Amino acid sequence: MSAVRLGSLARGRAAALGPLGRSAPAVLAVAGALVVTTLVMLVVGVDPSDAYPALIRGAVADGNLEYTIGAFVPTLGMALAFAIPLRTGEFNLGGDGQMALGGVAAAALALRVPLPPGVAVALPLVVAALTGAVVAGISAPLHTRFGIPAIVTTLLVSTPAVALSSYLVRFPLAEPRTGIAETPLLPDAAHLPAIGASGYVTIGLPLILLLTAGWIYVDRRTVAGYEIRATGANREFARYGGVRVDRLAVVTMAGGGAFAGLVGGLIVLGPPFRFVDGALTAPGYTFTAIAAVLLATGRPIAVPFTVALMTILQVGGEGMERDAGVPSQLTQVIQGLVIVIVAALATTRVLRERRARRAQEIDVGEANA
Amino acid sequence: MPTGGDSEAPAAELVGITKRFGPVVANDGIDLAIRRGEIHGVVGENGAGKSTLMSILYGLRRPDSGHVLRNGTRVRLRSPAEAIGHGLGMVHQRFRLFPDLTVAENIVIGAEPTRRGVVDLAAAGREIERLGEVFGLYVDPASRAGRLPVGVRQRVEILKALYREAEVLILDEPTAVLTPGEAARLFDVLKTVTRTGTSVVLVTHKLSEVLTATDRVTVLRRGRVTGRFVTAETTADELVIAMIGRSLGPPRRPAAPDGEPDGTPAGRPYALEVDGLTVLDRDGVPRLSDVSFGVRPGEIVGIAGVAGSGQRELIDTVTGLRPPGSATSGGVLLSGRPVRRGREPAIAYVPEDRHGRATAATMSLAENLVMGDHRTPALRGRAGLSAAAVRERARTLVERFAIRAASVGDPISALSGGNAQKAVLARELSRGTPVIVVEEPTQGVDVGAQEQIHGLLSEARAAGQAVLLQSSELSELRALADRILVMFEGRVVAELAGDEATEERLGAAMTGATATPGQAAPAAETESSATAREQGPADAKGTTR
Amino acid sequence: MNILELTFVASVLTATTPVVLAALGGLLCSVSGVFNMALEGQMLWGAFTAVSFSHLTGSAWWGVAGGVAATALYSAVLSVLAVTFRADPVVIAVGMNLLALGLTAFLMRQILGVGGTYTSPDLHGLPTLAGMGLDHVPVIGPVLGSQSPLVPAAFVLVAATAWWLRRTRSGLRLRGIGQHPEAAESLGLKVGAYRHGAVLAAGALCGLAGAQLALGNVTLFSEGMSAGRGWVAVVAVMLGGVRPLRVLSACLLFGVAEALGFRLQGAGLPQQLADAAPYVITLLALILAGAAGRRRRTPLETA
Repeated sequence: MSAVRLGSLARGRAAALGPLGRSAPAVLAVAGALVVTTLVMLVVGVDPSDAYPALIRGAVADGNLEYTIGAFVPTLGMALAFAIPLRTGEFNLGGDGQMALGGVAAAALALRVPLPPGVAVALPLVVAALTGAVVAGISAPLHTRFGIPAIVTTLLVSTPAVALSSYLVRFPLAEPRTGIAETPLLPDAAHLPAIGASGYVTIGLPLILLLTAGWIYVDRRTVAGYEIRATGANREFARYGGVRVDRLAVVTMAGGGAFAGLVGGLIVLGPPFRFVDGALTAPGYTFTAIAAVLLATGRPIAVPFTVALMTILQVGGEGMERDAGVPSQLTQVIQGLVIVIVAALATTRVLRERRARRAQEIDVGEANA
Repeated sequence: MPTGGDSEAPAAELVGITKRFGPVVANDGIDLAIRRGEIHGVVGENGAGKSTLMSILYGLRRPDSGHVLRNGTRVRLRSPAEAIGHGLGMVHQRFRLFPDLTVAENIVIGAEPTRRGVVDLAAAGREIERLGEVFGLYVDPASRAGRLPVGVRQRVEILKALYREAEVLILDEPTAVLTPGEAARLFDVLKTVTRTGTSVVLVTHKLSEVLTATDRVTVLRRGRVTGRFVTAETTADELVIAMIGRSLGPPRRPAAPDGEPDGTPAGRPYALEVDGLTVLDRDGVPRLSDVSFGVRPGEIVGIAGVAGSGQRELIDTVTGLRPPGSATSGGVLLSGRPVRRGREPAIAYVPEDRHGRATAATMSLAENLVMGDHRTPALRGRAGLSAAAVRERARTLVERFAIRAASVGDPISALSGGNAQKAVLARELSRGTPVIVVEEPTQGVDVGAQEQIHGLLSEARAAGQAVLLQSSELSELRALADRILVMFEGRVVAELAGDEATEERLGAAMTGATATPGQAAPAAETESSATAREQGPADAKGTTR
Repeated sequence: MNILELTFVASVLTATTPVVLAALGGLLCSVSGVFNMALEGQMLWGAFTAVSFSHLTGSAWWGVAGGVAATALYSAVLSVLAVTFRADPVVIAVGMNLLALGLTAFLMRQILGVGGTYTSPDLHGLPTLAGMGLDHVPVIGPVLGSQSPLVPAAFVLVAATAWWLRRTRSGLRLRGIGQHPEAAESLGLKVGAYRHGAVLAAGALCGLAGAQLALGNVTLFSEGMSAGRGWVAVVAVMLGGVRPLRVLSACLLFGVAEALGFRLQGAGLPQQLADAAPYVITLLALILAGAAGRRRRTPLETA
């Protein structure tokens, strides 16, 4: 009985702390990452009191804010590309390839097929999403049928996929006679309508926010969401409950890939309205997004916020480089640290739970003696 | 080989051992002396405290009070490694072999003979052969442990302890996984082992083993010593009274279902019918061979057998969860229609593996309680799964099945083993399916929950549900089941009515002792299919199709 | 084109060496029961630190030593978190790979003073075996002449590891620990210590792999220059299981594919497709092995 009492007491405290208590690991992870990053700055002789203000200015000062929002959209999309399969326990690290081929597909369609207004934007986006879905979807049967973890296959597919997109853009789809590795300008009808003056913020923003809201809804409130979460929590439990886990693996993997492909489409149909080789993968949306999702520690509702935070760091990093001369790659250091610290903190939680469970198992009094 | 110490003193002695787990007292002031060169039986029902006591002797757990003496000297046993160092050896019920290492490597690892820094496997092999000759334990040192049959693996475990010069050898339920022939050989080996002065502690709940193989017996009941006997001077009855506090009366029968004046549902068609079922695994090895039986509404049919006799495959096939890659012939029919693959919804199923299969530890109690029903309209809100309906259902079940939980929103891992098991039963039984399949329903749950669970199963029977009950607890089967099927090597080798199923008859059938396996199969086939044929398949099919 | 030309064999060995060194580290972890997916980041970190130390000391061998030590230190993060604190090794690996990418790109600007690619006539690469007097030996000369001493050393290390695992006391214990940690523990073996050792040794081997990549194969450092080789090493461990020679074969397959891609590029194949070839071939090998494993009922998954 004592074990039960203690357990409920501990739970009572967690409940009293409420949402703040549940965000504690995320706050700790960011704080820890910033402390370590500051140490790195000091070791290599960068003045943090120059760097951090420059970072903030770079992300949110006027003129920069629009650019930050422009980067928020693909990062949020890539976050979903990683988070959706993660809900069933699969790691999709191949976002770059899915995104690049999605972008190529969108560009090819927009360039080669004359489409009426409206459709000229929508159809390439749909095709981009489908392309991403197929590229990612391959990894699901490789896991369920052959037992090769998705974390490996998504990555192994990604490298050739990026190379293929690069080839397509340089040769079959290239702007003739220029020798530059980019497609010609897409027709006007295929340009994403802008919101606001600068053109960096397009209808991609409401679109991706809407889709994110849709995902959160599905995850929380639908049968499919329940089955996905159950599969992630315990695959055999879900199978036992009648969930077709193999099919679900394909759906979630392809679903994630669809978001990556969509991001590719959104980038290509946005300014500068062409597929520039390397432009999709160079900003590192994929891994910024992974850091953000892991920081959200399994809560979909937190993902848009962690993505916003990570985007500010990422974009701000470029401002920091301009203003304070600190290499922007420092933000990747922060992201990597965030992931490592989140994992470490999750462990202490798991250890505590395991200890609690062991106490209860003993509580049964060795009945299986 | 015994060395040192007072020659009068016992080889090992536990003095005043008390061990509590929370409110439960697993061992309550136990004294136990193991003499040099004897086979000492430690018997008791499940939960009597045998395993706890042995884990203390082997350094796996530390007692709250009391101590251990070796040859009269007090020793501290804080880990198995220390226990090994003090000449103790243990063969666990679940073997602890390294599957990809050879027998020789398994035996010497941690105490390897080396020559110039290189493990001297030749010397190891010679030593293993020498031990094999002394004790009659023959194994090929070069074969891979993972490929050996169970009985040989056990021999390797014993050699592992003897190689480390164990003077007290503890065996925990060693015959649970053995065929009768292998068990007999094991006891021969143990007799040989004691001739060199080594003592053997035999932990078991099988009376026949105690009477044939031991020199002295200590009986435990509810954490206390309730009897000490010299085997030659005692009887089974005496042991039973010490074990359970009374002599074995006729097995308790559950009340007859309502509306059955003669107390048997024999006239009804089968709710669940298994007809000539054969299952081959991926490698084409038969796991089930031509199994046929039926379960009628209002009937509990028990499945008994040594672990690994085909129970797993049978239940996975019946419930539709058979892993891909295996092949079947024959059929499983539910009121005449074939069972669905990928989890049959008309069968409630309480799996043995509570953590691995029956629950998801990190999900809430409420979410665990709706698995399988989550597609039903009753749980739908305006769109999708209604959180309110899920919680509501959970609260209802918690109340109806007396599950002790602080909140239905807490993860199920916060529940005790007994309450988690009740939650699984609540989920499955509340569905009111015509057929219920239950595996090891009371494994790892406390006595109070055990009674409740047995009550629930009897209620289901009274309500006219057909129950297939697999259990390794013979007393459980005898108390609950109307008929008991005994499985051996993938076949049903015997079918006994609940009131004629004595522990001895069940035990004999479980180990294939009624006949050698080759002969048992056809005999059993005729027996079980004869009963089935009486008013079985033809009737069932006729009425439902 | 004759793929049996000795120069082709030489380029296969060049391509294989960094991968096989990292894979050997992955194998040690796998044998001990730790799933190490952080090879990519460690190889990159090894390449960077080796170049930095070579740049700072003016000696390629000090560069190698520095790379090995620094990468072993870096792998201590994985060792402490995954072995002592039982953190999810996959998530840790994802974080460490990203961290290495960021840290090397950041530090190269701080230490080497440039971004993108660093190369300099002052940067000392490893000596070739030809320079050490091997170029006159027939067959071996043309094959190994242009290679650094680390290339033959890598293959010797594979054989040594195979022997060590099979025949020595510590090798046997490491194998036992990976197969059944509880049993090993109850026999008094220090499971944690062996696993720490395996992870740190893997770090050192990845440092060696990075040093060979940056100071042997070429003499430069560029951002992200490990370019997926660490992941190929992970795959090689999945393909080869705990058998060093099988892991070596898997790495050789990758080396052949890379060398072949390089050749085909010379014959007019676009560079992008040539770059993709080794990964496609590695993936196909994995799928074929997976299909075969499915039939043999030995799942590849080690996690």
